[in-house]
Amino acid sequence: MIKLKGKSPRKKRLGLIFGAGYLVLLLLFAIFGPMIRNAQLSDVAKKVDPDIRVYNAVLDPVSSSPFAPAGGAAILGTDELRRDIVARLAEGARVSLTVGLSVQLIALIVGVTVGVLGVLAPKWIRNPLMRFTDGMFAFPDILLAILIVSVVGLGMGPVIFALSVTAWPSIARLVASQVATLKDREYVVAAKAAGASNFYLVTRHILPQITGILLAYSMIDLAGTILAESTLSFLGIGVQEPQPSWGGMINGARLNMNSYPVLLIWPCAVLSLTIFALNFVGDGLRALSDPRDRSA
Amino acid sequence: MQLARALSTRFLLGLLSLLFISFVTFLADEIQPGDAATVLAGEKASAETIERLRENLGLNRPWPIRYVEFVSKAVRGDFGTSYYGVKEPVGQLVGRNVTMTITIASSAILLASAIGIFLGTLAAVWQNKPPDQGILFISTFGVTLPNFVLAPILAYFFALQWDVLPLTWSVDRVAPDYYYLILPVVVLAMRPTALLTRLTRASMVETLRQEFIRTAIAKGVPPFRLYVKHALRNAILPVITAIGTSFGFLLTGSFVVETYFLLPGLGSTTIDAIRKGDVPVVQACVMLTGAIFIVLNLFVDLILPILDPRIRESQV
Repeated sequence: MIKLKGKSPRKKRLGLIFGAGYLVLLLLFAIFGPMIRNAQLSDVAKKVDPDIRVYNAVLDPVSSSPFAPAGGAAILGTDELRRDIVARLAEGARVSLTVGLSVQLIALIVGVTVGVLGVLAPKWIRNPLMRFTDGMFAFPDILLAILIVSVVGLGMGPVIFALSVTAWPSIARLVASQVATLKDREYVVAAKAAGASNFYLVTRHILPQITGILLAYSMIDLAGTILAESTLSFLGIGVQEPQPSWGGMINGARLNMNSYPVLLIWPCAVLSLTIFALNFVGDGLRALSDPRDRSA
Repeated sequence: MQLARALSTRFLLGLLSLLFISFVTFLADEIQPGDAATVLAGEKASAETIERLRENLGLNRPWPIRYVEFVSKAVRGDFGTSYYGVKEPVGQLVGRNVTMTITIASSAILLASAIGIFLGTLAAVWQNKPPDQGILFISTFGVTLPNFVLAPILAYFFALQWDVLPLTWSVDRVAPDYYYLILPVVVLAMRPTALLTRLTRASMVETLRQEFIRTAIAKGVPPFRLYVKHALRNAILPVITAIGTSFGFLLTGSFVVETYFLLPGLGSTTIDAIRKGDVPVVQACVMLTGAIFIVLNLFVDLILPILDPRIRESQV
């Protein structure tokens, strides 16, 4: 997505380390964030409101305003419905990571299959397959995703489906170009001459060569997927309330933006940092998987 | 000859993609519960009334026939009537809103091209010096920050804190219209500005390495003339292509900006219709957006050989 041209390998490695560190923290936050919140709530509060997303009036019975200030029982305060911002950010992280990782996984499976078949399959399969893949590039991803969501429906499942449909073609194209160059390498030709099957060639000789590039690519693509998910949720046609999502939080913050800008700042900051971190990690990985860059 | 063939292939591919989109939008109506008959008959209608209406509308015919009819009507701009409100004809409703989208997208692309080419040239002239690094750093944000993060931030400062620009479009506007479009256009222009800056820089850096530039320097061409007439003219071609495709993305990607600033445009109409389940409006919006994108890309393919004799000759 972004190209850090002219960055030295040292800087890239630094970006990789910081980006990866942030992502690990985010993952932990997504897994344990909602749990901590849950443990903090008293049993009374849970009985009053079993939905842990709703911050309890019990902890703070005096205040009539739903907005708790930061630093209290709710570390970053609460929103207009007394919901803890930290807990919502954590659940938003869960949504973004679940959608992002599922989409990348599906896209990788479909993309690698199509990419390999697009080079090695017989001509009558290969040609239509690659033409179809090219055709998928005819439309902007977000438009296609919105179109699919409008057909399939709203919610997390449709979002994963829609974004997978838009994500696989670029992976297929990448794999196809890599396979096309690798299949004529001497060691592959030699293995073929020795009687290896196409399946053996692909799984043993070709795919292991491109895992590095694929990993780097899907890290950067993951940033795009998370952005697209947030965009759909922001527009109200993605993950639906009351399920928290970063995009939904940013959209919801506009109501009280003037008096409570924190509601806006946190989801924006977490989302932007995540996008940056994924780009740094992807870039660093690409540098690592490219021997020319590594030796420099 | 070859050029003509390449272009006609592109044209056919574009037509094919549009057919594909039309099929998916047609499916939207098939998959979702209820059809035009249930909506037109109203909530209290009996099953028989709906069935009779369905027969009158021809909805009980097999789907391939209805698909062909859908396409032939769509070509003429007839998408039926909206399910909601005054049940306005969809063509009219969409036509009313498309002007807004075209206005903000064209303003944004003009702004982005001017700033992008200017900053990109500056960055290339001061290659690897502080101004260049500064421009590249800022453009990284421009590429990475999503519209829906930038829009609230700008709105917070310009509309709420400093109160110099209106927050959202509204029916009772007190200032001239363009006043309400400043923030949306700036937000929309951010990403293409960053992309065009980077592209102009890269293309200029490449051009400045060429031998004819060295010759021009040796000949004593003054710097401004050198950079603008000699280098930029040669470097601008990929930038023009990118301006064309960016314009396509702006015209078809104004969902966020229009929704956030409540502008009555194609994007906000689409989102609104999806949320309400207003199928005919969704179909019309999606088809129109897809058509705009394809036609624009075709136009870029057409205009390149006209601008650059090298492309014209290489393909003849």
